[in-house]
Amino acid sequence: MTDLADTTIDALRQVGRALDPGVPDVAPDQAWAVRRSQHRLVSPGNRRHFRVIVVGTGLAGAGAAAALAELGYHVDAFTFHDAPRRAHSVAAQGGINAARARAVDNDSVHRFVVDTVKGGDFRAREADVFRLAAESSRVIDHLNAIGAPFAREYGGSLSTRSFGGVQVSRTYYTRGQTGQQLQVAAAQALLRQVKAGRVTLHTRHEMLDLVVADGRAQGIVTRDLVNGQIRAHTAHAVVLATGGYGSVFHHSTLAVHSNATAVWRAHLRGALFASPSFVQFHPTALPADSPNQAKTTLMSESLRNDGRVWVPTHPGDARRPNEIPEHERDYYLERRYPAYGNLAPRDISSRAARVEIDAGRGVGPQKNSVYLDFSDAIARLGRATIAERYGNLFAMYADVTGEDPYVEPMRIAPAAHFVMGGLWSDFDLMTSVPGLFVGGEAGSSYHGANRLGANSLLSACVDGWFTLPLTVPHHLAGLLGEPVLDSDAPEVAAAVASVRERVEALLAVGGRTRASSFHRELGEVLRRGCGVSRTEAGLRAALTEVSALRERFWADLWVPGDGGRLNQELESAGRVADFLDLAELMCLDALDRTESAGAHFRDEFQTALGEAKRDDDRWCSVSAWEHGSPPVRHHEPLHFSAVPMAERDYR
Amino acid sequence: MTSTTLRSATTSRARVSTFTLKLAMAVTGWLFALFAAVHMYGNLKAWFGADAYNGYAHWLHNALYPLLPRDGLLWIMRIVLAVALVVHVVASLVLYLRGRRARGRFRRRGHNRWAAATMPWTGLLLLAFLTFHILDLTLGIAGAAEYRAATADESFAYQNTVASMGRPLAGAAYLLAMLVLLVHLVHGLWSSATEFGLTGRRTRKAWKVIAYVLAIGITVGNLTLPIGVWTGLL
Amino acid sequence: MKLTVEVWRQESPADAGRWERHEVDDAASHLSLLDLLDLLNDQIAAAGGEPVAYESDCREGACGACGVTVNGVPHGPVPRTPSCRQHLRSFDGATRLRIEPLRSAAFPVVRDLVIDRSALDALVTAGGHVAINSGTASDAEALPIGHDDAETALDFAACIGCGACVAACPNGAAHLFAGAKLAHLAMLPQPALERGRRARAIVDELEQRFGPCSTYGECAEVCPAGISLAAVAAVHREGIRAWWRGRDD
Repeated sequence: MTDLADTTIDALRQVGRALDPGVPDVAPDQAWAVRRSQHRLVSPGNRRHFRVIVVGTGLAGAGAAAALAELGYHVDAFTFHDAPRRAHSVAAQGGINAARARAVDNDSVHRFVVDTVKGGDFRAREADVFRLAAESSRVIDHLNAIGAPFAREYGGSLSTRSFGGVQVSRTYYTRGQTGQQLQVAAAQALLRQVKAGRVTLHTRHEMLDLVVADGRAQGIVTRDLVNGQIRAHTAHAVVLATGGYGSVFHHSTLAVHSNATAVWRAHLRGALFASPSFVQFHPTALPADSPNQAKTTLMSESLRNDGRVWVPTHPGDARRPNEIPEHERDYYLERRYPAYGNLAPRDISSRAARVEIDAGRGVGPQKNSVYLDFSDAIARLGRATIAERYGNLFAMYADVTGEDPYVEPMRIAPAAHFVMGGLWSDFDLMTSVPGLFVGGEAGSSYHGANRLGANSLLSACVDGWFTLPLTVPHHLAGLLGEPVLDSDAPEVAAAVASVRERVEALLAVGGRTRASSFHRELGEVLRRGCGVSRTEAGLRAALTEVSALRERFWADLWVPGDGGRLNQELESAGRVADFLDLAELMCLDALDRTESAGAHFRDEFQTALGEAKRDDDRWCSVSAWEHGSPPVRHHEPLHFSAVPMAERDYR
Repeated sequence: MTSTTLRSATTSRARVSTFTLKLAMAVTGWLFALFAAVHMYGNLKAWFGADAYNGYAHWLHNALYPLLPRDGLLWIMRIVLAVALVVHVVASLVLYLRGRRARGRFRRRGHNRWAAATMPWTGLLLLAFLTFHILDLTLGIAGAAEYRAATADESFAYQNTVASMGRPLAGAAYLLAMLVLLVHLVHGLWSSATEFGLTGRRTRKAWKVIAYVLAIGITVGNLTLPIGVWTGLL
Repeated sequence: MKLTVEVWRQESPADAGRWERHEVDDAASHLSLLDLLDLLNDQIAAAGGEPVAYESDCREGACGACGVTVNGVPHGPVPRTPSCRQHLRSFDGATRLRIEPLRSAAFPVVRDLVIDRSALDALVTAGGHVAINSGTASDAEALPIGHDDAETALDFAACIGCGACVAACPNGAAHLFAGAKLAHLAMLPQPALERGRRARAIVDELEQRFGPCSTYGECAEVCPAGISLAAVAAVHREGIRAWWRGRDD
């Protein structure tokens, strides 16, 4: 174990080159149209000769697989779930943004871009955000058509609501289950292609390695989770849509099986990893009641539309919330950010809550939460209206806590949620490995240093349904006549052998501690060192601790059972092993980036008012890490022409 | 999908579909229910005296004469009901077996739906009673000692019925059969809303009311007979 | 709280399976059913045994991955609530829990409490989709949809695909699942354009893989999405409609 307290940053990483994302040299709002006109096409008759692998069947993966199959390509779709409908996209509750700008609240594509770029604290690629905005209308049309029952007004038009970080109403929704409805619709579309014979669906298959040959991605290695069989699948291109890795924090809002393994394996095979430390902490999660809890429960941010956030003014106030008089309550979001109030962006809300909790004003048995109070809204709108808007969320809250939110305020707390970081990709969503594409949360380009609410479902849909179906064929067009990589090729055999070795290594450690226990410890380390706010000393300590934990992992891990059948302990061990490696890169990235931006808040870099202080001279770029010893940090310079750079100000 | 995750369909396609069988059961079930309602209406004539009852029975034998031969209407009803009975019983047997096979090795326990669960058994009891009822009052084979078959000019249905009910065992069987019929009808008629595809919330509620009213009406109407005989009112 | 947990152990689909009995000493009442399984697994592993395999993912009641049978009831004793949202505090002081997989011949056990529910996906694959390719949809507001129609469609669309309805059914029927899908898509203007062929495809697939409905109503009692029994009738409504019209729409 090495103590990193005094090591210079230069000893921990190398500095690489500037990256070119291939955005055409035109105004950012024109870039996607120009780029599309440059894309090569594959004629309909040739499409069935191409095979594409899509890993992940969430909103991005199912969309990409379905859309590519609709065009006529043969797709192999992989999910480690038993069914495509289970992906974590289902958990997005609040809604999906679209710049349809129907209402006369002065919304527009441009305003969408401003909100998203500003929300991301100027660390997103402007041209990508324009694409997001421009395609958003079609996303709603398409998902509506394939079965998502969006909420409607009595006049029959689509309903919208507001979300954190915006002053217009552009969020489309289906009660509190938008993600689930979009996911079900996308999974149906995928299964339609299964029926048509153009998609081969491989359920309960986990991707454990990427096959790179001739300098391009040509396949993956999977483990069949039911019978343990490890084998390779080859194709002309590979799309990773495997979701986010917020679950590295153990207690997070993510599904318990969400993991980084697919993107991490791709990273080890050469794909650059962008901004690994950019993790958003969701302000409206439920506080953990005990350390053993597997995850925290997410409450939709849409609750902040009608709920007011407050803490008692006196630290350690032990009274029930309803007994605390109005003048002893601090509605700190409304006080500090009068313009946005309770709808301040997520990073700001989370950090503000953390400040209150750390100052001893936290509430609940563990003093680790703040109140979200609906009494005003219930008095103003009536219980029935609130029940129609949030009924299932209130029921869920009552289930989890045994408390009635119609009577007493909810208790909420920040929790690790969405990762803006992920595999670096160019304007075509292609990673630094040719032929390897990325979509949805596994990628990195739209949200900068902080994602606005209801933009994640949108980015997954735009990638899957409208971007990858154009960019993947552009790559395929250059491969016309090329057969897929032979399954006997040495690169395939080597990848399969390395996966086998690794599985055997995990089984062979023979220690006494289960993977879940290491995961819990890793979460503690990251929450302390690489959480809502970070310091140089804390990050160095975290690096040291992660490296020690990894040593202990490989010395003391115990995986019960064998690799020849369903073994959830083995699956978990592999994912935790990758989390340990990823956590190190997260800390390194956070240490390296000597500024605060969005969700990446370094205590050393803040304004006089305690807000994130960017360093645009040095850090107006995306860090993209290449695997190595030490890792190499490349950077993609960012330029903003449509949205003038400014300090984020939600006051 | 891959072979490891998606099993092939377990049953062959060459068979009468469950969908058709369920519909057939619903239609034939309603046929019985309507027949039972008409039968009950006839039974109530007992309260207007032997002549009214026997006259009705006689009318049934000669209904629509000469358009139909004597006993023509009765035979049409007998044939239709017999066919319906065969369809209803065979379909229920096939569905029962399909249900058991689809459920597999581990039976569902602990649920509280005895009306639905007992449909096969109430059905069998009703079948047994029906056999006895025909032997008793139609054919007279298991009838009371005083049984007299109908002639071309008159019917003795009233005397036969009173004599039959007067036997404690036969009367008790009748009473029990009516309670079983109530259970069978309530669930059968209610669940036919599903077979007929009624999805509206209010429609389903209305259907439930109809099911209960019809089932209870038939049972109560019929039960007045044995009670009348035992109390000496008939 | 001290609990006796009898849990189903089965090595593989071919294995006959058996009950295994454990005493859990510190089962706090705020634990969810799945927290309890985690605690039990910690205990089993500490004694050198293999933890019980079970499925869960979002633990918020949205993904439909979890689902075990508790004392004979799919998902557990709290009605219309998924296993991940069943808390020990609501178990009426039960001191003995028998935990087994969701049972049905259509759902073979993969291992312990993990089952194969792909038969449900086969129903969706058969016809639970809409023939509109990416980018070809008309404007979502070109065809107005009434507020109540959208809400009712969502009531049916809310199905999370957990399979508890099948496990609750003494006949192993999947009418609630299939009917929810049919009713959901029949209520929306564009998906409704292929109502007839969808109904035929799904009803046919339903026949091949699942049992007959006897209107026990048990399915709706355990449905975590609160799908009403009207969904079951929708199978017949759509089936009869398709047969009567003899057309694909």
